[in-house]
Amino acid sequence: MKHPDRRKVTAALAALALAAFGQAGAAQAQGYPDKPITMLVGYNAGGQTDLVARAAAKVLSDELGQPVNVVNKPGAGGGVAARELTQATPDGYTIMFHANSVVNQDPFLMKRITFTPEDFEWAGFITVYQAGLITQKDAPYDDLDGFVAWAKENPGFAYATLSPGARMIMQEIAKKEGLEVNYVPVKGGGEMINAILGKQSVLAMSGGLHAKYPDDIKTLAVLTTFRQPSWPEAKSIDEYGYTLAMDGRAGIMAPKGTPPEIIERLSDALAKAETDETFAKVTGAADIPIMYMNATDAKAEIERTYREYGEIFRNAGIEPQ
Amino acid sequence: MQDLIHGFADVLTVYTLAWICAGVTLGYVLGVLPGLGKATGVAVAIPLTFYLEPVAAIALLIGIAKGSAAGSAVSAILLNTPGEPSSAPTALDGYPMARQGKAQKALKMGLYASVIGDFLSTVLLICLAAPMARYALLIGPVELCAILVFSMTFIGGLSGRSLLKGLIAGAFGVFFATVGLETETFIPRLTFGLLDLDDGLPLVPIAIGMLAVAEMIVQAGNMRQLDRETEQIVDGTRPEDRVVLWSDWKRCFAPILRGTLIGSVVGILPGLGASVGSFLSYGATRRASDRPEEFGTGRIEGVAAAESADNAVVPASFVPLFALGIPGSVIAAILIAAFVLHGLTPGPRMFQEQPELVAAVYAAMLCASGILLFIGYTGQRIFARVATVPVRLIIPVVLFLCCIGAWMETGSIFAIYIMLAFTVLGILAKKLDFSFVTFLIGFVIGPSVELSFRQSLQILDHRWSNLTGHPIALVFIALTAVVLVALARGRSGGGAVGTVRDTGTTITKGRIS
Repeated sequence: MKHPDRRKVTAALAALALAAFGQAGAAQAQGYPDKPITMLVGYNAGGQTDLVARAAAKVLSDELGQPVNVVNKPGAGGGVAARELTQATPDGYTIMFHANSVVNQDPFLMKRITFTPEDFEWAGFITVYQAGLITQKDAPYDDLDGFVAWAKENPGFAYATLSPGARMIMQEIAKKEGLEVNYVPVKGGGEMINAILGKQSVLAMSGGLHAKYPDDIKTLAVLTTFRQPSWPEAKSIDEYGYTLAMDGRAGIMAPKGTPPEIIERLSDALAKAETDETFAKVTGAADIPIMYMNATDAKAEIERTYREYGEIFRNAGIEPQ
Repeated sequence: MQDLIHGFADVLTVYTLAWICAGVTLGYVLGVLPGLGKATGVAVAIPLTFYLEPVAAIALLIGIAKGSAAGSAVSAILLNTPGEPSSAPTALDGYPMARQGKAQKALKMGLYASVIGDFLSTVLLICLAAPMARYALLIGPVELCAILVFSMTFIGGLSGRSLLKGLIAGAFGVFFATVGLETETFIPRLTFGLLDLDDGLPLVPIAIGMLAVAEMIVQAGNMRQLDRETEQIVDGTRPEDRVVLWSDWKRCFAPILRGTLIGSVVGILPGLGASVGSFLSYGATRRASDRPEEFGTGRIEGVAAAESADNAVVPASFVPLFALGIPGSVIAAILIAAFVLHGLTPGPRMFQEQPELVAAVYAAMLCASGILLFIGYTGQRIFARVATVPVRLIIPVVLFLCCIGAWMETGSIFAIYIMLAFTVLGILAKKLDFSFVTFLIGFVIGPSVELSFRQSLQILDHRWSNLTGHPIALVFIALTAVVLVALARGRSGGGAVGTVRDTGTTITKGRIS
């Protein structure tokens, strides 16, 4: 209960400050940015999201004319970095590049993460995660229906779980179809890929890393509401009749109370990444599709998904731990 | 082979060689400085690699990895504060050697063992990347679990004077490793509601606190005595203490080869890392020795065993990366990013699609081995003088670096609190003669055992009988049982304080009579 209180106080103070110094805020926003910007990333250096964040930081710094320094604060799937962001001064000089799952999924899984879309300002999304259910290329089924039919014949199959979300998806399918699953825990994307390549598991949920292994791995269903550019033929899990699709997007968040002019400025600068050559090279090499959303759309998206995904987790009977 | 020659042609340019040198030097210096290490080097280097040519970028990162693995031996030997956790076993014999005035000898042997381990492991990578990686996939969680349990029996060899205290320290290591999100159902354990503990206690601050900060505080307590000793040990009065003699080489030959082998195997297996490699190699060498009781008093083989394995892990961890695209270490994971950035996807197709670049990377790794020898040899002449600096000047510098090192990886003050908490534990362990080495082994291997055990349960469908499908695992389970029985009989038959070897002979005598 400590955190929400502190956040409410911060938000109240920020609102007060904004009301009192509204004029000054606008003036400050006009000169923005006149010093280097710190960009938090809630994952380790060298990971997929970190790579995209650094490429985005380069685009932003070219656009804004000030250095954008990436600072990695790993921990709790981005929860540690996001918490720090809520405590930062809302002046546009501390921002965060992260997956929106820290707000629209994690609060429903972890008791100590209590973020809501209202705790941040949203300056736009730039990439999506191509999450999917994957298996070996030579497996005897080609889509999710085929797998379910096979799984009914083979109870006790091994399914690699990377995250609580990955576990929840299989639990829901198993509940509906009456499957018997062994959940093999794996740590990190590398080990998940290993479990598939090494045939220790027949199925796994991947966050998108499998795009690099087209010769060995196939996608049975994608876990987003839309079909994914890398596997246009793979149907969404929603199309299979399970309401479990959740879109993960990466983009820029800012502390609550950051002046709208600054958010607008960041949103416009991020838009340039869409056409930037280096950014395309970095994301293209890792098969991460670019789908830009501006600040207004991003806010609507996060509010909608927070509502809908919360419903999915509650329907699944998931209690935050 | 043809490709490799072309590769050397690509690498032997001033531009690329300069970046390899920069990487090795940066890594070496960071390795030497207690508290700083690979994590720091990589944090500095990642943004840089955006602007470099592919080969230069990869060579720079590989240079950092190789350099820091070798450099960490220097501070372990001179100050008893390993630059990285993986050099902790180096300090066990290296520091006593330094206090006996043989610092130069220990440093040189440490460097030679590092370079040999590194070089042979690189050659192994070049020759065997593809076939070995396919074999490594056979080592699934079930096999890994059996191997890890077997390796835990080495704790017996590393526990110092009392086996019981060694086991207690190991159990504490395992206990602290349980903090964080549990891996199967993701329920937080012992986090006390702290978000910072969700991913568990971080190794680096713990190792810095227990190994470096605690050591500095203990040394501060003995400052006068240490300074008096330092004055007396004029470095290398006798020439034979400054160089590695032929007789030393003969003693270290087998430990270096064994260390290289252990390091290479550990590197290829996913999820273990350099610390496990050097601990296992040190333990194995101690066990194989005629006089295991002399280890810890300044045996040169101990230094050779630990350092050769420590360095062999680095190139070997690239085997799964190159052959399958699976990272075997932190540096390998970072390298994936560097590869991808420059349009090369690690994995089997890499060899067909861009053989030139692969060959150039191999050539760069071999060059880095040679450069490491050169830079290490030059650097040691400078660093060896640290041994004569009064303790009161060293302590504040080391403490400062420790704080930076603990803070650097996650960028949070919380890591410094963890470092301080484990400093207290480290001092208690030193005063009460509990082994911090077994503590660290428990801490490093414990979670891997838990994860692979739980994976095994699921993969085996909770049936013992399914183990028959995993012959490698069965072999290691049998080996573990044999070693445990031998240890138990040895202990009970040979009195309380006998060493493994001594009690071993007692048993044989008992059988004969």
